[in-house]
Amino acid sequence: MKPLPRITPDSKPFWEGLRARKLVLPYCTDCGKPHLPPGPVCPWCFTDHIEWRPASGRGRISTWTVVHKAWFPAFAADIPYNVVQVELDEGPRLTANVVGLPNERLAIGLPVVIEFDELTADLTLPRFRPAASPAS
Amino acid sequence: MTLAMRDRTAIAGIGQSEYGRFLPASQLKLGATALKAALDDAGLEREDIDGIAIHLGWPLGVDYDRVAETYGLDLRWVSQTWLHGRFVTSAIQQAAMAVACGLANVVACFTAISFTRERQILGGPGDAEGTREEGGTHGESPPYGLTAPAGGAAIAMQRYMVQYGATSEQLAAVPIAFRKHALKSPHAVMKQPLTLAGHQAARMVVDPLRLYDCSLITDGAAVALITSAARARDLKQPPVYICGMQGMRSGREEFIFAPRGLGINQQRPGRWKPEERDLLAYRMAGIERKDIAGLYTYDAFSPLVLFVLERFGFCGQGEAASWVQNGRIELGGELPMNTSGGLLSEAHVGGWNSILEIVRQLRGTAGERQISGARHLQWATAWGDSVVFRS
Repeated sequence: MKPLPRITPDSKPFWEGLRARKLVLPYCTDCGKPHLPPGPVCPWCFTDHIEWRPASGRGRISTWTVVHKAWFPAFAADIPYNVVQVELDEGPRLTANVVGLPNERLAIGLPVVIEFDELTADLTLPRFRPAASPAS
Repeated sequence: MTLAMRDRTAIAGIGQSEYGRFLPASQLKLGATALKAALDDAGLEREDIDGIAIHLGWPLGVDYDRVAETYGLDLRWVSQTWLHGRFVTSAIQQAAMAVACGLANVVACFTAISFTRERQILGGPGDAEGTREEGGTHGESPPYGLTAPAGGAAIAMQRYMVQYGATSEQLAAVPIAFRKHALKSPHAVMKQPLTLAGHQAARMVVDPLRLYDCSLITDGAAVALITSAARARDLKQPPVYICGMQGMRSGREEFIFAPRGLGINQQRPGRWKPEERDLLAYRMAGIERKDIAGLYTYDAFSPLVLFVLERFGFCGQGEAASWVQNGRIELGGELPMNTSGGLLSEAHVGGWNSILEIVRQLRGTAGERQISGARHLQWATAWGDSVVFRS
């Protein structure tokens, strides 16, 4: 079985947002900056004045890899599969994967848009697809 | 205060087990072999050891209390780091500081691992760290199948290649150099030469890292005994002085397997070059970077070798892939690195095989691997920590 995200008290609103098919980010109400991964305080101001606000769900691939080795048996059938970091338009980077794109066309800078993958009734995993192509 | 640790302590003895794959001995048995050899080497008795610094403890290796009770040690100072190889410098520094502060007389830096029996801990279903509340520490993201440390080095190298035009063929110079060194080490697990064609033909593991860009998975133990400089001078071997050091960098601008400024995880991309605080180890040692006769680093993945060169300013940002070409990091080159083969070709003993090699080099006993006239050698990592040693 593939591992599910470990939902923590700090990241709970992030995952609740995804269940509602919304990408939300923790913003510091003092400096106005969003951060990832979700933390209990603003990493710049060190205050806990955090407010969850909707994000655009758009960004660009900032780096990627294709995994060819089955470290985890549950992923063996997917090999070779991609994993990317996406720099969201809001700034922070999110690790995920890209669907609807052959691995050969993975490229840093490629615009992507979020896709909500409802893994279970309780958990929706964010993935991305190329912004220019129709939803897969 | 930056001079406080210069030449205060020294490595007085080294020992190791055999290095290999699927060794039948337990980790504690391998460790006992290494510890006995180190005591013999130094001319010390077991009873002289009153401190221990364990590198690679739970969940991969052994823990300090089990080591102490198994070997009949009576300790008054212990330190232990967890799973990761990144703590070589931390272990040496803590041991040296404990001795310098009078908390211990002789500290055994101790590493004993059986990677071949424990490999599922490294990114497999047995990797509890990757699935804990705050996750792994190399950018792991288990729900997407990025579960191994290699993935962190891969995402960094992928971006580095695009940013600076580096290629897999250039990267190959690193494992090829270290394989040449390993062929001169009697302890090395790898016995066959590696060519560029062989590197390129090997299977892709996690793009852009191919098989020989990734560390060996081996078993073995290594021990280095640290004591005061004064005591070391009275022992059997010429002391190898710990003359400079600096700590690991950490923060939002850091990713364990990326140079600063690359743009991995939450790093801001941008220009970077080492500042004074990034080069403290040289100042403490009273030397300049050009005085370093050989560089030793934690080469779990070949990109880490490029990144340490930039971190310490041996070359500029984005220049390392070209810099390592034409034998520059090989024995006989401008800056020999990992002269016994490193993790890539000698063995993965958490980096301690290279610490032992530094000691042999500075004693002048490295045989056909000897760097002639080596007086200062440096251990340094892509994450910015370092120890400078001198003869």
